[in-house]
Amino acid sequence: MGDLFRSQEMTLCQLFLQAEAAYACVSELGELGLVQFRDLKPDTNAFQRKFVNEIRRCDEMERKLRYLEKEIRKDGIPILDTGDNPEAPNPREMVDLEATLEKLENELREVNAYAESLKKNFLELTELKHILRKTQTFFEEALHDQHMTEEAVGLMTEEGMMAGGQAAGLRLQSVAGVILRERLPAFERMLWRVCRGNVFLKQAEIDTALEDPATGDKVLKSVFIIFFQGEQLKTRVKKICEGFRATLYPCPDSQAERREMAISVMTRIEDLNTVLNTTVDHRMRVLMAAAKNLRLWFIKVGKIKAIYHTLNMFNVEATNKCLIAEAWCAVDDLDKIHLALRRGTERAGSSIPPILNRMSTREMPPTYFRVNKLTSGFQSIIDAYGVASYREANPSPFAIVTFPFLFAVMYGDFGHGTLMFLAALWMVLREKQLAPTAKLSEIWATFFNGRYIILMMGAFSIYTGLIYNDCFSRSVNIFGSGWSVRGQFNQSLTPDQIRTQVRGIESLQLNPNDAQAKAWRANPYPFGLDPVWQVSGNKITFTNSIKMKTSVVLGVIHMLFGVFVSLTNHLHRRDMLSVVGEFVPQVLFLLGMFGYLVILILYKWAVYSGRNSNCAPNLLIGLINMFLFRYDKATNGCPPIYTGYQGLQTFLVLLIIPCAPWMLLVKPLILRRRQQMLARGGAMMGQQHPQPQMQPDAGVDGGDQTELGMGQQQDGGNNIHDGDKAVDMGAGYGDHGEEVDIGEVFVHQAIHTIEYCLSCISNTASYLRLWALSLAHAQLSEVLWGMVLAIGLKREGFGGCLALFVAFSFWALLTVVVLLLMEGLSAFLHALRLHWVEFMNKFYKGEGYKFEPFSFARAELEM
Amino acid sequence: MFSESMFSVDAGYLEGLARGFKGGILKKTDYYNLTQCETLEDLKLHLQSTDYGHFLANEAGPLTVSVIEERLKEKLIIEFNHLRTQATGYLAEFMDYITYSYMIDNVVLLLSGILHDRPIKEMLAKCHPMGTFEQMEAIHIATTTRELYDAVLVDTPLAPYFADCINEEDLNEMNIEIIRNTLYKAYLEDFSAFCQQIGGTTAEVMQEVLAFEADRRAFMITINSFGTELLKEDRKKLYPACGRLYPGGLEMLAQAEEVEQVKLVADYFAEYRVMFEDDGTGMDKTLEDKFFEHEVRLNVRAFMQQFHYGVFYSLVKLKEQEIRNIIWIAECVSQRHRAKIEAYIPILE
Repeated sequence: MGDLFRSQEMTLCQLFLQAEAAYACVSELGELGLVQFRDLKPDTNAFQRKFVNEIRRCDEMERKLRYLEKEIRKDGIPILDTGDNPEAPNPREMVDLEATLEKLENELREVNAYAESLKKNFLELTELKHILRKTQTFFEEALHDQHMTEEAVGLMTEEGMMAGGQAAGLRLQSVAGVILRERLPAFERMLWRVCRGNVFLKQAEIDTALEDPATGDKVLKSVFIIFFQGEQLKTRVKKICEGFRATLYPCPDSQAERREMAISVMTRIEDLNTVLNTTVDHRMRVLMAAAKNLRLWFIKVGKIKAIYHTLNMFNVEATNKCLIAEAWCAVDDLDKIHLALRRGTERAGSSIPPILNRMSTREMPPTYFRVNKLTSGFQSIIDAYGVASYREANPSPFAIVTFPFLFAVMYGDFGHGTLMFLAALWMVLREKQLAPTAKLSEIWATFFNGRYIILMMGAFSIYTGLIYNDCFSRSVNIFGSGWSVRGQFNQSLTPDQIRTQVRGIESLQLNPNDAQAKAWRANPYPFGLDPVWQVSGNKITFTNSIKMKTSVVLGVIHMLFGVFVSLTNHLHRRDMLSVVGEFVPQVLFLLGMFGYLVILILYKWAVYSGRNSNCAPNLLIGLINMFLFRYDKATNGCPPIYTGYQGLQTFLVLLIIPCAPWMLLVKPLILRRRQQMLARGGAMMGQQHPQPQMQPDAGVDGGDQTELGMGQQQDGGNNIHDGDKAVDMGAGYGDHGEEVDIGEVFVHQAIHTIEYCLSCISNTASYLRLWALSLAHAQLSEVLWGMVLAIGLKREGFGGCLALFVAFSFWALLTVVVLLLMEGLSAFLHALRLHWVEFMNKFYKGEGYKFEPFSFARAELEM
Repeated sequence: MFSESMFSVDAGYLEGLARGFKGGILKKTDYYNLTQCETLEDLKLHLQSTDYGHFLANEAGPLTVSVIEERLKEKLIIEFNHLRTQATGYLAEFMDYITYSYMIDNVVLLLSGILHDRPIKEMLAKCHPMGTFEQMEAIHIATTTRELYDAVLVDTPLAPYFADCINEEDLNEMNIEIIRNTLYKAYLEDFSAFCQQIGGTTAEVMQEVLAFEADRRAFMITINSFGTELLKEDRKKLYPACGRLYPGGLEMLAQAEEVEQVKLVADYFAEYRVMFEDDGTGMDKTLEDKFFEHEVRLNVRAFMQQFHYGVFYSLVKLKEQEIRNIIWIAECVSQRHRAKIEAYIPILE
C-alpha cells in the first residue's frame, strides 16, 4: 500500500549520451518504459529537428508497409501474428529493411500493373463476349418480329431488314458498347435529346458483375446497341458515348461474322485466363511471404520512429559528440536505468559509458503510481477527478474498500449482488480471452476495464444484502425470527393450525411490551435484519430509521477519516503550522458537532428499547436545541438522556464556535509575523543567511521556510524535501525579502474556512443519499416482485405455468436492465460523488500531472 | 415554419460536425510554421500535426503541388459529402445550392476548353470535384448555347439559370464570359431567395454573405469590362440584383467607364470604400485579395450565431480559402520564390 498511498519519489536526471550510443540506449530505455523524457526544444518546428530525415524515412517505410497491408488484406491472406516482440533494429539494419521493403513494393507494383493490364484486356474481351451474345438476341428478336407481324413498320422493321443483311435504301448503322448500369438512364435521355429521337437504343443487362481492373471493385454493367443513320449522327453518338465513359466495340452486322468473332473471343479469353492465373499466383506468393513478416516490420519501424522522435527532443552538445537529455524517473528505478544504459552502450560497441546525473529542479515532478490490475481501476477513478499532486496522499488505496462499500450500502441486495459478482467473476476469469474484444466497443470496454471494481461491488453488495436481509426484495429466515405470534393463540394448537388461522386475520400486532403474548422472544436475530420486518406494516418506517442513522454514522466516519488523511499530508510535509492552524480546529469542529451526534445515535440504540421508547429523545431537534442553548424543563416524567448532558453540550458548543476564527486567523497571522521577523532579520544580517531567523518555531525546518517563500504553494515545499540532497537551500527560492501578499493568504484562508464549515454540514446531509438510494432500490425491487413475478406465482394449474413463464421472463429482463444496470449505474455515480466531493475535499488537491514514460508498449498501443 | 428550437432535431449533429471542421482550420501559428518550410516535404511534415493528419502519407514518389492540391480538395469533398449525405430537408437543398456555383465554374471551364480544342480528359481533371455532375463529360457535343442547354444542362439544376442566355450564336470567348456571369447572377439571386424562404437566422447570415458576393461580382464585371466590346446595357444585365449596391449603386456602376468612376460608386458604401482606398502601408494588396479578406471576415462571422445553415456555406468557403492559401505557400516553397510567401489570407487568429 505504501506504493499506492504516496506517488513514487521522482528525480530529474540529465543524461549524457554518446552520439553513437544514443540510439541503442534510447532503444533499451524504450523497452524498459520507466523514463519520461522532456522536450528540450519545445519551440523548434517538427522539420527543423536533428533527426527529421530518419523520421521521414520511417514514414516512407510505414507507407510501404501500409500499401503491402492493403494488398494483403485485399486478397484475404491472414497476417501472421506470432506475438513476439522484436527489438528495435540498429540504424545500419534500417537500411537493409528499407531495401527489402523497397524491393517488395516495386515487385508488387510491377505485378499489379501487369495484372491490371491483363485484367483490362480480360474485361474488354468479356464485355465483347457479352455484346456478341446479347446483340445476337436483339437481332433475332427483330427477325422474329418481322415474321410475326406484317404491319411491323418503322425502325424495328428496318433494323430487322438490316439485320437480315438485306440492304435497303436506307442504310442503318449501329454502334454497340457497354456502359455502367446506373448511368444508362441519363445516357438514354441525352441521346434522345441530342439526336432528336432519331436513334434507336436497345439495351440488356449483363447479369454477372464485372471487375473494374483499376479498383478491383465489382461493377454492374449493361450492353447497349444504338442504331442510327448518317455520319453526323454517328459523330454525335460517339461523343456522347465517350462522355458517359461507355466502351464501344466493333460489332459485325452479319450473323456469320459475329459467330466467328465470338469463337475467337472465347479462345482468347481462355488463353488470357491461364496467363492471368499465373500472374495471380505470383502475386499471391509475394504477398504470402510479406504477410509472414508484416507485423514484425510494423513493430520495428514503429520502434525506430519512436526512438528518433525521442532523440529529436534532446540537445546536441557543441562538439556534436554527445547528446544531452533530461528525463524524469523514479528514484527506485535508477539502478534498472543504469543497467539499461550500460546494455545500450555495449550493444553500440561504445567504450565511454553514458553519464546520468541527478539534477535539482524547482519544477513539480510527475505523479507516478505503480498500479496492478486491481488497483488501476480505482486509481483511474481518482485520476478522473484530478491527478494527485506529487507525493500527496492518494485516496485510491482507501477507495478500494470504501468505494465498493458505499456502493453496496446503496445497492444492498443479496440476489442482485450475487448476479453482479458472478458477471464480474466471469470477466475476471476469462480476461485473457476477452481482452482483445474490449477494443471493439467502447461501452463493453468500460465494463471490462472496471471488472475488478464490479467484482468488489458485487461482493460487498452480497454482504450488505445479508445485513438488510434482502434477496430480490424477499427476506430469508435462516436463524429463526426473534418475534412470534404464537402467544396470541391457544397454546394447544399445532403450528399448522395457527398458520391457517393467521391467514384469515387481516393484521396482527406484535407488542414487545406485552408480557403475556410473548411476541418478543428476547433473542435478537443474530445477523442482519430480522426477517419478520419483511411482512410487517411498519417496515418502511423501521428501515428508514435504521438506514438514515447508519448513513450519518458512516458519513461522519468517512469524513473524519478524510480529515485525518490531511494530517498525514501535513506531517509528511512537516508542516506543523497547518496541523495546529488547520487540522486541529477542523477535527474539533467535526467531532464536536457531528461526532457527538454519532455518539448520541449509538447511545440511543443501546439504551432505549421497547420498554422506554416513549422517552426516546428526538436527536435532530436535540442537536438544533443544543446550538440554541434551549433545554426544556418539561420532560413528561422521562429522565434526561443522560445526566449532565446540558453541561457537556454547552461545553461542546463553546468549543466549536472558536474553531472557525481559529481556522481563519491563526495560520495567516503566524505567516505574517514570520515574514516581518524575516524582513527585520534580513535587514540586520545583510541577507546572507536567513536560516537562523527562520527557526523561532521548533518544528519548522527548511520545508516550511520555502513554504513561506512560496506563499502557500506546497509543491515547492515538496520538492525541496524529496530531493533534499540535491537542492541547495540558500539559493533555492527567493526567500530574500520576497514579498508574499498576506492579503491573498487571508482571502485564501477565509474561503477555505467558510468552505470547510459549511461543507461539514452539507456533506453530512449529503451522506443521507446512502439511505435514499438504498430505499429506492429496495422499493423498486419490491414493486418489480409484487407487480410482475408475484402475479405469475399466484396462478395455479397449467395456466399458472404459462403465466409464470411469461412473468418470470419479464421480471428477469427488468431485473437485469433496471435493477442491475440502471440502479447499479446510479449507485455507482453516487458512490463516486461521495468520494470525489465529500471525502476527497477534506485533503486532496489533485494538481499534479501523470508520469508518462517513453515506452514501446505504449507506442504500440497507440498504433 | 422555421423554429430555432427545432433546429437541432435535424441539423444539430451536422452543425456540430461543421463547427468541429471549422475548429480544424489552420491558425496563424500554423501559417507561420508553413511559411518557414524549406521544401514540400517539410510542408507535409507540418501539415501532419494539424487536422489534415496523414492525408499525404500514402503518396509514393516526390511530392508536387498538384498532388497536394488534389488531396486537399479530396479531403474537403469527403467532409462535405459526409455532411451532405446525412442532411435532410432544407439543409440538403441548401447544401446542393452550395455546389451549384462550382458546377457553373466547371461548365464554363469545359466550354472554354472546347473552344480552344483541348482534350476533354485534360479539362475534366481540372474541374472542381465539388461541382461534378453526370452529364458533364458529354458537354463537348455542344457547339451553340441552345445545344448546350438542350443536350446537357436541361437535366441539371442549372437549367433554370440558363434560360436567359439561350441563343443560336456559336460559342466564343465573350459568350462564355457572359454565360458565366448570367448563370452566376441567376444563381445568386435564386440562392438568396431560397435563403429568405428558409428565413430566421439563416436568412440573416446568408443575406450578408451573398450580398457581398453579388457586389463583388458587380465590381469585378465592371472593372474587367473596360476595354472590351461589352456594351453598357449588356453589362448592366449581368449585375446580380441581390447585393447592397442594388439598385442605386448598380445604376451608377452601369454608367462607369473607368476605374475612378467605380471608386466613386464604392465611396457611397462604407465597407467597399476601404477596399478601393490605398491603405498607405505600402503593402500593395490587390483588390481581389482585399475582397477575399472581407469574404473571410464575413464567413468567420457566420460562426458567431447558432442554429442556422450559414455555417455550412461558410465552412466550405473558408476551407476553399485555406486550400488556396496552402497551395500558394506550396507554390512559393517549390519555386523558391519566398518574397511573396506572406501573401496568403489569414483566416483565424
